[in-house]
Amino acid sequence: METNTQYKHITETKLELSLQLPPLPSMGGYVLFAGIVRDINEGKQVTHLEYEAYSEMANQMISAIIADAFQKWDLQYADCIHRLGKLVLGEVAVLVNTGSIHRDEAYKANRYIIDRVKHEVPIWKKEYYVDGSSEWSKGCLHDSHEH
Amino acid sequence: MKIQLLSFAALKDYFPSKQELTFDGAKSVLELKSYLSNLNPEATNLIKISRISINQIIAKDSDSITEGAVVAILPPSSGG
Repeated sequence: METNTQYKHITETKLELSLQLPPLPSMGGYVLFAGIVRDINEGKQVTHLEYEAYSEMANQMISAIIADAFQKWDLQYADCIHRLGKLVLGEVAVLVNTGSIHRDEAYKANRYIIDRVKHEVPIWKKEYYVDGSSEWSKGCLHDSHEH
Repeated sequence: MKIQLLSFAALKDYFPSKQELTFDGAKSVLELKSYLSNLNPEATNLIKISRISINQIIAKDSDSITEGAVVAILPPSSGG
């Protein structure tokens, strides 16, 4: 797999939750979403996941989604980073952070960013199961928003 | 016309992750999808629900693929 060190929104490095808030005096609300590897999907026991991306394109698309969020809401802060490679249960796959003067916009923008990242950005998940089998996630059809 | 074709995720079960393809004339995205389905009929259902990017921009079925383009077949996303 190619290295992704040059991409701001895509990384192969383990994601850690930071307790440091962006130092923005006018930011009154801050929302952090973490997508976490869980132990079961569609009734099957998962042991670990592997994420793959078209990294350069994914990075650009996440940048564009964040820019769209800034257009739609009066945000003080927005960022998103997605991890690739092998992730074990409990590890963080994606982080979305948003901050605004009041909480409402931070909540809305955060949901908007993660929903679009899940539906549109070329990132794929392969699930590995307890019985030794594995399967690429069916994903979100681009014309469907049922997830 | 020569293009570079990238395949990702489940599509790598049917096509190499990176290959060079040569065509007589220009092709639309739809024609490329048909070509790939004929090449490997088992991949047809997945190709149907996949998006195509040309030089990292999502393309419509009617868009033309130009000489030297980097074309990628993108199965439905499953990030997050």
